[in-house]
Amino acid sequence: MTADAGTSSSLDRTAILAIVRDQLAEILEKRPDEIPEDVPFSDIGADSLALIELVEALEENLSAFVAGFHIDDEDLEGLLSVRDAVDYVVVKLQAA
Amino acid sequence: MTLPIALDAMGGDFAPAEIIAGARRAVDELGLGVTLVGVPELLGDPMGLEVVACSEVIAMDEDPASSVRKKKDSSLVRAAELVRDGRASAMVSAGNTGATMASALLRMGRLPGVVRPCIATPIPNPGRTPTVLVDAGANAECTPEMLVQFAQMASAYVQVHYGVASPKVGLLSIGEESTKGTPLVKDTHKLLASLEGINFFGNVEGRDLIPSPVDVVVTDGFTGNVALKTLEGGLKFIFATVLEVIATNETTKAAGDVLFEYLLPVASSLTPENQGGAMLLGLNGICVISHGSSNATAIMNAIRVGAEMDRVGVVEKLRTTIRPDQKL
Repeated sequence: MTADAGTSSSLDRTAILAIVRDQLAEILEKRPDEIPEDVPFSDIGADSLALIELVEALEENLSAFVAGFHIDDEDLEGLLSVRDAVDYVVVKLQAA
Repeated sequence: MTLPIALDAMGGDFAPAEIIAGARRAVDELGLGVTLVGVPELLGDPMGLEVVACSEVIAMDEDPASSVRKKKDSSLVRAAELVRDGRASAMVSAGNTGATMASALLRMGRLPGVVRPCIATPIPNPGRTPTVLVDAGANAECTPEMLVQFAQMASAYVQVHYGVASPKVGLLSIGEESTKGTPLVKDTHKLLASLEGINFFGNVEGRDLIPSPVDVVVTDGFTGNVALKTLEGGLKFIFATVLEVIATNETTKAAGDVLFEYLLPVASSLTPENQGGAMLLGLNGICVISHGSSNATAIMNAIRVGAEMDRVGVVEKLRTTIRPDQKL
């Protein structure tokens, strides 16, 4: 799955990256600058439960931009890093 | 007015009948309010108790995280939502432990500053208040910072639940010396030894779980769960063996008749059903996890603990114990 820099919503990739980082930092009790973009989630202490927390937080947060924003369960397997999550959200928002 | 306890009526080996029976006993014998959460067609007779209906059940063998996400109308998720929404003072479940934790975490949320909630299980300590083991299985892999938080939360829990003013905290290791143990244990030892507000006893070993010189034993969830199950299996074996020996012949049976009067209270104090279940510490709400094989007595006691923890304000106590800005 690839993602362009711009989306059809008011959020660009930079903003989405910040949202994902901030949410994950809150879940893991770290600072956002301690959340690398390309390191696997498992290597930064994010287990499956933390990922579900992240997904649910993103759905709630991003529903303010796109009503009913939803991350499909079958896509969760492919979200292995912050980059994967950001790229996924960008594509979802573009398609909305 | 006190809110009822939200009871997952579908979770556990003997659900729903034993779960409902336990709820009924909690109402009749303890005067507590209980709301059953369950699938109406599967509940059977709710024995006059209020029911919040749901349509799904998370099975014991389902993956915790994904099942909570997929089964949003499950009894576990709905019970957690009742607490979140202020319609119940606590939730109790004898179901899938991981899914119980996931439901509670995702719906109630963590207290600020808490990295990960942990399961606090009371281990009977004959002649004194129980020793609380954390983590009893929520987090298989831990960091030293997590173990320190477990120690802090368990200490606060022991203070409000058992009235111990300054709970002694032991770190589970393979020797008393601070040089013993895994890197995790050694690093945690250094942090606990230097932390203010913790009455750190030092390292304790497996044999110090019962009887115990400490009020709290801290370890990672994998080790804690192994230790707990080892203890359960050992005690069960001892009870069964004593009963077998007593049944050997007429002489031993006669001796047993004399001993039972003294042995039964001891046995009762050691059986899991009388311990009241395990508390999930670190959430913005109360969640009591009862053993999967809970009978009505165990459920009644788990409900009792949930109500008691609401009464003593355990969540607020934990909220003030964990400082989000704490640097370790």
